[in-house]
Amino acid sequence: MIRNLLGAAAALSLVAGVATAQDFPEREMLGVIMWGAGGATDVVARGVTPAVEEALGKPIVMLNKAGAAGAISVAYVNAAPADGYTLLYGAENPQLHGVMGLSELDYGSFYPVNILGRGVAVVVVQADAPWQSFKELVEDAQARPGEIKMASTGPGGLPYVVAALLNSVAPHEVTAVPFDGEGPGLTALQGGHVDFMPAGISAAAELIKGGQLRALTVVNAESVDTFPDVPPITDEFPEMAKYLPWGPFYGVWVRDETPDDVKAKLVEAFRAGAESEAFQTLMANRGNVMMNISGDEADAFLDNWQSVTTWVLHDGGATKRSPEEFGIPRP
Amino acid sequence: MEQTALWFLMAWLDPGLLLMVAAGTFAGIYIGAIPGLSVTMAVSILISFTFKWPVDDALALIAGIFVGGVYGGARSAILLNIPGAPSAVATAFDGYPLAQRGEAGRAIGVATVMSVVGGLMGVLALALAAPVIARFALLVAPRDYLLLAMIGILLVGSLAGKSLARGIFAGALGVTIGMVGLDPMTAEGRFTFGSLSLMGGIPYVAAMIGFFGVAEALYQLRHLDLEPVKQRVGSLLPDWRVVKKLLPLSLRTGAIGVVIGALPGTGGDIAALMAYDHAKRTVKEPTSPFGEGAYEGLVAPESANNAAVGGAYIPMLTLGIPGDAVTAVIIGALYIHGLKPGPLLMVETPHLFWFTVGSLTLANLCLLVFGLTGIRIFTKLVECPKGILIPLILVLSAVGTYAIQNNPVDIYWMLGFGILGYFMKVYDYPVAPVILGVILGPLMDVSYRRAMISARDDPLTFASEFVTAPISLGLTLFLLAIILGQTPLWSKLRGR
Repeated sequence: MIRNLLGAAAALSLVAGVATAQDFPEREMLGVIMWGAGGATDVVARGVTPAVEEALGKPIVMLNKAGAAGAISVAYVNAAPADGYTLLYGAENPQLHGVMGLSELDYGSFYPVNILGRGVAVVVVQADAPWQSFKELVEDAQARPGEIKMASTGPGGLPYVVAALLNSVAPHEVTAVPFDGEGPGLTALQGGHVDFMPAGISAAAELIKGGQLRALTVVNAESVDTFPDVPPITDEFPEMAKYLPWGPFYGVWVRDETPDDVKAKLVEAFRAGAESEAFQTLMANRGNVMMNISGDEADAFLDNWQSVTTWVLHDGGATKRSPEEFGIPRP
Repeated sequence: MEQTALWFLMAWLDPGLLLMVAAGTFAGIYIGAIPGLSVTMAVSILISFTFKWPVDDALALIAGIFVGGVYGGARSAILLNIPGAPSAVATAFDGYPLAQRGEAGRAIGVATVMSVVGGLMGVLALALAAPVIARFALLVAPRDYLLLAMIGILLVGSLAGKSLARGIFAGALGVTIGMVGLDPMTAEGRFTFGSLSLMGGIPYVAAMIGFFGVAEALYQLRHLDLEPVKQRVGSLLPDWRVVKKLLPLSLRTGAIGVVIGALPGTGGDIAALMAYDHAKRTVKEPTSPFGEGAYEGLVAPESANNAAVGGAYIPMLTLGIPGDAVTAVIIGALYIHGLKPGPLLMVETPHLFWFTVGSLTLANLCLLVFGLTGIRIFTKLVECPKGILIPLILVLSAVGTYAIQNNPVDIYWMLGFGILGYFMKVYDYPVAPVILGVILGPLMDVSYRRAMISARDDPLTFASEFVTAPISLGLTLFLLAIILGQTPLWSKLRGR
């Protein structure tokens, strides 16, 4: 029944779509955020939207639809009409849904309106931890396999992937304790319940500045503006360079079948939104790297990210299905 | 010092800010009273609205909504047996029987005063002891959350009514409902049957609205011809003697609320349940037996959940760690307003701390005013003929459930739970333990596994940590004392 209704709605909008494309947008739009309120994706989405609304001249109603690591939002937007009125505000997760056995849908079915920016991972320990460099920590983990505890956010999460990437260049063994997200993981680290955590700079920055935590390395090919003194991971593990840049990313998508002129209007509006001063400040405060790319450039980035990450996870035995089944090439 | 006082009074002296706090509190009461419309939701919607406002205005409004919303849940719990929010579940246990006795007005009056007492305790703790409490909250390990959840789940015994076996069955049903969805540790599907809708889990607010709201509405259809209870609305201001008698309990449960609220893994819902448990264990001579309209059973959760508001702000303002779901959203709002929540927040924007303390205090005073006015009209709601009231409840339940995450599937769940809850009521199975299981089950699940993984899956290490870490030892002893206190052995020893 619902499917029929949706189908009817889609058919109607196709008919209407031809006539209205030039005047897009005629009414308010719906922005579906794939993570909960207050999370990293939510903050980026709500940060960029006011400037985009100004550029488009119509409001965007924001809706958090968390669940199943974003798969529910992806399916929801995919079922909505491809008329550009339903936007998907998402993070990197759908690129892993296939191999994790969650859903067949990934960003391949969507058009990247704008990949706004990416986060950089940083490895943090308690301020008074014994390790002075990341190499010391890894060597300690090699000497005492399994005894050092890492806060993780579950399979496919940032700490998990960073550990898997590192493991492929420097085999070591730590005990990964999963938490509900980066925030709770960092909280546990401050309480001394775990020993270290690879986390997004956005989540850890203020704790590092406040002296609660100490950064050992940034998972990037060069040091970052937020912490110019923290060495990049390639200083100690040059082989990591082949995986970089790697990190979570945030962006806006619409269904691939959306009319081209509607796509173009959205791309223009979101580019303006991403360039707005308020959003630039927000991203800098959160230690994110601005990307502001769309179309083919964004697709290339997405494909590369997916290929690197899924194969590393697969080789580490963390996937349910092989990337090969989805035609994802080895990097 | 003078500067501190000025910051504290900012919201009191600026008419614009004063209006924000007052309007927020007023709106919060009504948002909180409608099941499904939560404070978290209201605050996250407001973030888009208040984007261009000065950050102080936004924070003042949010503080008002937070305080009002946590209290508002009590109204629908008392009047209709439908908790407006999970933190008001425990309020319904004794609040609704009071309304059925015709004491709804008095119950709301007492709940208001004691909410304000609890709320002010939370603010006081925030103002005086924030850094200490925040440090303590960090030290609470996964196994301690497991112990807290276990202490909470023992409440099944109190809520079971006539048959403990039926209570345990209901609790286990709740735990099972809470388990549906992706495993939070491994992202493995549990009871999902490959369905994407099930992967997102069943929102516990849908279960709450179904088992309380819809089940109650259906159950009342059995007595349609029954005259509605006439409400006595003579004295709405609670008697000073009653308040004085209940005050010590209110202060004790307020303290529970502050601590549970400040812990990053727990919020007002668990605080209220634990406070109810505490009241049931410590009050020997309640005004009526618990579950049949004891004012003690009303005061304990209400003081605790409002105290948890101040508690939740403690780690947020001092460390940038959210104490609950609402403060998590507030942290996001601060980022969008260009601030950087974290340990340095109080250094970079020094006025923020005392400004928040000031607006929270103000919001509690507004709550006292708004909470004690309009009770008369509210209590009329109960006197409304059932033929009008019940369809209204059903519509509100559906709207509220849909509002959780705009997912029509949740409405089906809610209706299904409503029908199940109806038959449970008919066959004398208690429904409250179901909600207890839904709230505490997942917490026990992840805490246990987190603790076990931390002990590297070694049961001996795992067990020894319960006695070697001071906080864990305290909680373990407390848990054992509760269990042993209920055994025949103990009563025999005491009898001797």
